[in-house]
Amino acid sequence: MRPRVAPEPERRARGLDVALVLWPSFLAACGASLLFFAAIDPALLREVGPRLFAGIDREAGYALGFVFFWSVGAFASALSLYLIRTERPARGDDRAGTP
Amino acid sequence: MSVTRLKPAPDLGPADGPFYVAAEKIYPREISGRFTHLRQAAVIALLGLFYGVAWLRWDGHQAVLFDLPARKFHLFGLTLWPQDFLYLALLLIIAALSLFFFTALAGRLWCGYACPQTVWTELFVWIEQWTEGPRSRRMKLDRGPWTAEKVLRKSLKQTLWVALAAWTGFTFVGYFTPIRTLGGDIVAFSLGPWSTFWITLYGLATYGNAGFLREQVCKYMCPYARFQSAMFDKDTLVISYDAARGEPRGARRRGTAARSVGLGDCIDCTLCVQVCPTGIDIRNGLQYECIACGACIDACDEVMDKMGSPRGLIRYTTEHALHGRATHLVRPRMLVYAALLLTVTGSLFYSLVTRMPLILDVIRDRNALYREVRGERIENAYALKIINLDDRAHTYRVSVSGMEGLELSAPSQPITVPPGSVSNIPARLAAPAARAGGVHRIALTVAAVDAPRITVRENTRFIGPTP
Repeated sequence: MRPRVAPEPERRARGLDVALVLWPSFLAACGASLLFFAAIDPALLREVGPRLFAGIDREAGYALGFVFFWSVGAFASALSLYLIRTERPARGDDRAGTP
Repeated sequence: MSVTRLKPAPDLGPADGPFYVAAEKIYPREISGRFTHLRQAAVIALLGLFYGVAWLRWDGHQAVLFDLPARKFHLFGLTLWPQDFLYLALLLIIAALSLFFFTALAGRLWCGYACPQTVWTELFVWIEQWTEGPRSRRMKLDRGPWTAEKVLRKSLKQTLWVALAAWTGFTFVGYFTPIRTLGGDIVAFSLGPWSTFWITLYGLATYGNAGFLREQVCKYMCPYARFQSAMFDKDTLVISYDAARGEPRGARRRGTAARSVGLGDCIDCTLCVQVCPTGIDIRNGLQYECIACGACIDACDEVMDKMGSPRGLIRYTTEHALHGRATHLVRPRMLVYAALLLTVTGSLFYSLVTRMPLILDVIRDRNALYREVRGERIENAYALKIINLDDRAHTYRVSVSGMEGLELSAPSQPITVPPGSVSNIPARLAAPAARAGGVHRIALTVAAVDAPRITVRENTRFIGPTP
């Protein structure tokens, strides 16, 4: 049997998977940072937070906070993508079943 | 519009080839015409605003500055604080509602003319066309060997791209830290690590999105592209190919009457496909990849002019119009979006106009409920926090009400608070012991002496001995 070549949308550039992980998490991180830092001044974390936050000034606080939100989002995105990619095909689904 | 089901990885044996393939590069053909001019104007206006406004001054400070280090936002004459987060939320809601409104009215106007992705891609493509030439030359250059000319053209393009991306990152960060200071820091090589981080991040994002990803951002990454169809109806302006007029398509000699050789008006020159920045064929109908830039309209109009056929084989039209029915501009969806938009915009303006640039916090002294003064008066202590949110200093007077005989024994009046500052003031209230028994609900009022509109009242309690 001739190997079935998947049509265009099913075969994609590797970079797109990276984009699919980084982009939605980036958007989520923007929203999360906006809400979080509107309510909480990162300089306050140094005063009231654990010793971990000592030496973090406001600018560092914003950047680290953003990177933190972004990482959490990226982890969730990557996990979702992994689960989608490794899903067992539904029975009788000719798009996903063996040719 | 259905979501494409992705083929699961385990199914792909080696015979199927690699799971991942390189995205096919799209070489959009250069084009001129009404919609191209409109987009060029939009690009120049929007990028002009972005790169220019950062340098404007207003009343001794940067006109538009979301000063994160100082936690205050300057918007021309207005200074906003984190406490004013409501305005930002309202602004975002207005932006979303406008997007809904204009999408329902005229399709993806946002995508074709205003989206940063489109705007910066356009700018990067201009550089590409300028350094590497028109479409056919670019394709030949990419296929050909690495000659001196190719190296020169490619490195010129990359240099310009990188410079533009870096300037974009710098400008972006310049909206969050004062841009002149930032520029000075760069020139003096004393840029802080976090500014460097943000400039690099935004520069890289610009370079990657506008230089390389381009239409793939719209096709694979943009959520709006997927859900915009929910705002479409049969009266929404979309770019459509008039299949009834165009089909059957086919080549013919110039001057041939299409119908006499059994053909429609489409000569199948594929120019509409070549100019498309997302590489689709509009003749296959409306697709979610279409960013409504109108390049295919311009290309087709040009061809129709040459063939002596009327323009508009590909045109902005509605599904209803295409099927010979009337288009309704006013419809329930539009009215709902418009009503919501007006309400939210109205409330934003109302709250901005009536915004009180003063905050008063009253905290009772935690150490003692009350204190007897010379056995005849009862005194309570408070901590007042007066926050002046205005751009200029104000002088305030504190007064009390809600209890007979209650007087302010401290602080001394009036109180001056500099612009954008917090004053922590210990206050003492005293009342005759005969009247002070029990718990009394009282109010403290802070009023600006120099601006009668600015006054804030805060409720608290006055506690005396249990009667």
